[in-house]
Amino acid sequence: MQRDSLEKILIGLTFLSMMIALYAIFIYAPLEATMGLIQKIWYFHLAAAWIAFLAYFHVFLAGILYLWKRERRFDILGRSSAEIGILFNTLVLITGSIWAKPVWGTWWTWDPRLSTTLILWILYIAYLMIRTSSEDDSKGARLAAVFGIVAFIDVPIVYMSIRWWRTIHPVIFKLKGTEVNPAMIITLLISLAAFTLFYFCLLHQRISLEKIKDELELIEDKLMEVKRK
Amino acid sequence: MTNLDYFMAAYIFVWVGVFIYLLKLQRDQNRLRKELKSLKRIMAKGRDENKKI
Repeated sequence: MQRDSLEKILIGLTFLSMMIALYAIFIYAPLEATMGLIQKIWYFHLAAAWIAFLAYFHVFLAGILYLWKRERRFDILGRSSAEIGILFNTLVLITGSIWAKPVWGTWWTWDPRLSTTLILWILYIAYLMIRTSSEDDSKGARLAAVFGIVAFIDVPIVYMSIRWWRTIHPVIFKLKGTEVNPAMIITLLISLAAFTLFYFCLLHQRISLEKIKDELELIEDKLMEVKRK
Repeated sequence: MTNLDYFMAAYIFVWVGVFIYLLKLQRDQNRLRKELKSLKRIMAKGRDENKKI
């Protein structure tokens, strides 16, 4: 199958799954007894958190592969994933804050889950700064790859923070399973699937952009060479 | 603010955030297309000059 048609299928599937997710969130999922409508933020919040984790995992993986093979495509993957990860991490912090205000009575508290998530966000902003600020491109790629690997340590810490330390953040998935209504779990899974497809769409677009940039640079270099001759 | 207001605020933030990112990608793509066009023009010009010589 051609690349273009695969891309169209991916976009189509993303759109379809997003529509199903919206239906499930607004119509299918029942209202939570105590929180009511505000609980529905959960479907976006958790999905965005999952995408941020997935994107950061790709940065971690790309970092290892770049240091091992020194191929530009892994540098592109890391950089693109980090950018998308930061976007969704920002959405996690904002939606979490909006949920916290009516439920906890505050926009922000230095809870272990919130603090480690904020640290995660700062770490990947630093990653992008390292990647873009270096004058020597290969040195910047190497440094960013190492930083991307080290920064990933915070991802399991964020996940485990509500299990390791005393926190007011709800723990939804416990070792014994979950006490959440099955319809809510189904809606959450649909939302996770839709956001995952959306992530791959964004990643594909971002990587393509970076590849075009590389091609342009190559043409520019060739032109400069011809001019010099 | 009611629960509906908070919910709508979160919902709007998610989609506005995503939309801004998509706009950024679109803007970058347009910039690269323009660059590509100008490079093609330069190359065509160079080719024409070579033919004349």
